[in-house]
Amino acid sequence: MSDASTHHADVAIIGAGPAGMAAASRLAEAGQVPVVFDLAPSPGGQIYRQLTAPQLGEDVMGRDYLRGRRLLERFERARIDYRPGSRVWWAKREGQGTTLGVLADRRSESWQVRRLIIASGAMERGWPFPGWQLPGVMQAGAGQILLKQGALIPDVPPVLAGTGPLLYLLAWQYLRAGCPPRLILDAAPRSRYATMLRRPLSTWHGRHYLLKGLGMLTTLRRAGVKVVHGIEGLRAEGNPHLQAVHYRRAGRWQSVDASMLLTHFGVVPEPQLSRGLGLPFDWHPSQQAFVPHREEASLAAAPGIWLTGDGAGIGGALNAEREGHLAALSILAAKGEPVENERTPLVQARRRELSARALLEALFRVPDGWLAAQPETTLVCRCEAVSLGELDAAMAQGAAGPGQLKAFTRCGMGPCQGRLCGESVTRLLAGHLGTTMNAAGYYQVRPPLHSITLGELADSAAPPAP
Amino acid sequence: MFKRLDNAAPAAMVTIWLEGQPHSVPATLSAAAAVLWLVGATGYRDHAAGGHRAPLCMMGVCHDCLITIDGQPNRQGCLVPVAEGMRLERQRRPA
Amino acid sequence: MPQDFLIIGGGVVGMAVAYGLARRGRSVTVLDGHDDSLRASRGNAGLVWVQGKGLAMPRYAELSLHSSMAWPEFAEELTKRTGIDLEYEHCGGVDLCFDAKEAQARQTEYRALYAATPSLTAVRWEYLDREALREQLPGLGERVHGGTFSPHDGQCNPLYLLRALYAACLTLGVDYHPATPVTGIEASTTGFTAHSPQGSFSAERVILAAGLGARTLAPPLGLSGQVHPVRGQVLVTERFPPSGRLPTPQLRQTASGGYLIGDVLEDAGYDTGVTLETIHRLGQRAVQIYPELAQARLVRSWGALRVMTPDGSPLYEASRSCPGAYNLSCHSGITLAAFHARELAEAIDTDRLATIHGDFSGARFDVQATG
Ligand SMILES: Cc1cc2nc3c(=O)[nH]c(=O)nc-3n(C[C@H](O)[C@H](O)[C@H](O)COP(=O)(O)OP(=O)(O)OC[C@H]3O[C@@H](n4cnc5c(N)ncnc54)[C@H](O)[C@@H]3O)c2cc1C
Ligand code: FES
Repeated sequence: MSDASTHHADVAIIGAGPAGMAAASRLAEAGQVPVVFDLAPSPGGQIYRQLTAPQLGEDVMGRDYLRGRRLLERFERARIDYRPGSRVWWAKREGQGTTLGVLADRRSESWQVRRLIIASGAMERGWPFPGWQLPGVMQAGAGQILLKQGALIPDVPPVLAGTGPLLYLLAWQYLRAGCPPRLILDAAPRSRYATMLRRPLSTWHGRHYLLKGLGMLTTLRRAGVKVVHGIEGLRAEGNPHLQAVHYRRAGRWQSVDASMLLTHFGVVPEPQLSRGLGLPFDWHPSQQAFVPHREEASLAAAPGIWLTGDGAGIGGALNAEREGHLAALSILAAKGEPVENERTPLVQARRRELSARALLEALFRVPDGWLAAQPETTLVCRCEAVSLGELDAAMAQGAAGPGQLKAFTRCGMGPCQGRLCGESVTRLLAGHLGTTMNAAGYYQVRPPLHSITLGELADSAAPPAP
Repeated sequence: MFKRLDNAAPAAMVTIWLEGQPHSVPATLSAAAAVLWLVGATGYRDHAAGGHRAPLCMMGVCHDCLITIDGQPNRQGCLVPVAEGMRLERQRRPA
Repeated sequence: MPQDFLIIGGGVVGMAVAYGLARRGRSVTVLDGHDDSLRASRGNAGLVWVQGKGLAMPRYAELSLHSSMAWPEFAEELTKRTGIDLEYEHCGGVDLCFDAKEAQARQTEYRALYAATPSLTAVRWEYLDREALREQLPGLGERVHGGTFSPHDGQCNPLYLLRALYAACLTLGVDYHPATPVTGIEASTTGFTAHSPQGSFSAERVILAAGLGARTLAPPLGLSGQVHPVRGQVLVTERFPPSGRLPTPQLRQTASGGYLIGDVLEDAGYDTGVTLETIHRLGQRAVQIYPELAQARLVRSWGALRVMTPDGSPLYEASRSCPGAYNLSCHSGITLAAFHARELAEAIDTDRLATIHGDFSGARFDVQATG
């Protein structure tokens, strides 16, 4: 039964990053009119944020950022029902398709969608250490967003800490912007060369990443930026904001004064939509993240649902673009269009890219034993201020799953919906129970998938009775 | 805490009000970014469990950027672009 | 040495009885389901509620009253043992009415119920109109007609109740096995053996407290286990400073500051999901009750299945064909927790369940079916 207050779409795409833009553009070029929802005010996603009116040029941002223009122009040219500033806060599989609750202009509307492409991207991993809740501590991605959004850079040299390509990219961009980091604290495993030797094929496929990384590192070193490798522990301190960063190396703690610490411990698929739809996830030991299942060939996760881009497994912007393209082709193929010739090179390129990724994953692993080694006062759940010690105590009292642990401690009950503590809670339980990440399980994700007020909910167009 | 690069592309500016004071900010910023630029992270927000918080992720995940926008409390400042005449109040507990 | 008791189900009913038995010196093993199994104990609203309970069975109304009176001491005892604050408040509560017709019907029902037995005449309640209610419920919206106030009602944090029961059981030596779903129970001359993929467990006597699991586990033991799921959906908002407003079944502010919105009864089979239509309606009703909540952000929602018997009253049964096997199924396991941990545990331990609480046995459904 349809209802006047419900919108209908044959294809809806959530996310206007590389994956979503590519999918939408390709579908539009075939005469479809997909609807695209995105939180942000302009298209681009995380990587191409603000590229519609870039604040800085290639000299600071690097080539990869500006490269997105081609895709952006294609997206803007195509006939697409693009809806910026839209939050999908509700998603449920119903009958032949999916029902979405979409909040825009402080009003929620329901959408009945036949085919759904999820391209909602990744988030930075929540990675607890003492003091990570202090003002002055941010994730590296946040620093980069400020750079893209308004050419904002730290007014004193910041400390960067963690592991992952983004850490070095941000350091390089800050250097180019005239604000070289004071110190880079690298927590990646130290046996880099051994890793490369163990993965010759990945190393070959990933050679462009290696060269790019090497180039950045050389530039940073030449500019006198100090990099400390082998970081085993991190602590932020200060009141009411960050004043010092302590770090442990070779068993010894050292300190540096700092008013800004930017950390990065990798990116992981943002799970809310896929988990909220009840799609199954598995722990991916190489990505060190929970990754949703999908069919390798079509990228479909369930009838009528495709998962593309970093939200389905971290593969980077170019891979995301190809996956969006592939999902579009999968839909077009079902409508009887000949797409095989177009598919083959995409599939091949994707395979090479994912092989190269395996190298990055190995080079930038997060240290698995990190969480258990933190002091017990360390906050695991920032929203509800639940500490590691409280979680240990609840596990000792019989909480044997994420649901029970949440019930006993409020961990994960806050507004971030457990996104920043979910992985930590699974890690703790797996350690406590001596089991795998998969067996330890994950929170049950339920709406709201994004925040909505009761007023917005009450004012929303009444959804049809089922 | 943050400064704007001199060689940034010229941006349209809008006037926003932070705790009653007018400020001119680039229209490309989110409300949270504008606050970080104008006054820094210190004092951004008091947390219910005690202590202070400031934006962590700037991409809609952490909810530590909650701020009162045009009288509406607890909005995610990192997801709302600034607009001409926007009124912002940081959420502090009365001393 | 075999255990004295095997309890199937680690929800609030099973753990309260486990606690009561362990407190009496019995050895108890609890077998519980998986983290994501159906758990009313984690999805409920946390009301310790008397008014309106037992409309179909005055004995149940008496039980609710009795348990709510025992709650303050029960809560104190658990806190003393475990250090966990149950956030229990014996504050009184209001059940709201939205129009004159509802108000009229409510009062008629209550008048009849609270005259049904001599002990029920002790129940105090009164109908208050919107203006009068605004004292206890400041900010009440214009769409509310009024409500019934009763001083016997109260609230707690049901999750902390559950945690305290776990902690207390642990200190009393209860042997708790999570993720051990029982697939079948065998009776023998020496007692009972429960089988699960994690192994078999034996004890002299067995108590089913498996919520909706009773449907399959109870009949082979000569117990009725007549329960069916009734879904509730609940919303919780972000936290606010304490308002001092009394709890209502429709909406209450929890000790941590969030508003909990609920009170829907749905027949949805075993679907624990939430529906757009219902949460839209719940949002509307919350804003009708306190218009200022329009600005409150929704942070959580969930669906949970009530464990409902055919007449809504508890089912406490002792098996005749398999002596030593019991089944406990009820809605309102929070309210009744104090009773379960004391009198009910005692009645089972001394094997007098059928004598003392015979009117709560499954036999009452057979009578209805044939009569
Ligand atoms: C929406 C809602 C609101 C409510 N509000 C209130 C309220 O305000 N006040 C109040 O007093 N009550 C309330 N209740 C009712 C209260 O929560 C229940 O009465 C109580 O939780 C029932 O406890 P239980 O142990 O029987 O069932 P559950 O809590 O469901 O526990 C059953 C346990 O048995 C386990 N289990 C099941 N099958 C097996 C098996 N085969 N082997 C091993 N283990 C098994 C499960 O894993 C689970 O842990 C509400 C219920 C709901 C759904
Ligand atoms: S800064 Fe994290 S949600 Fe806004």
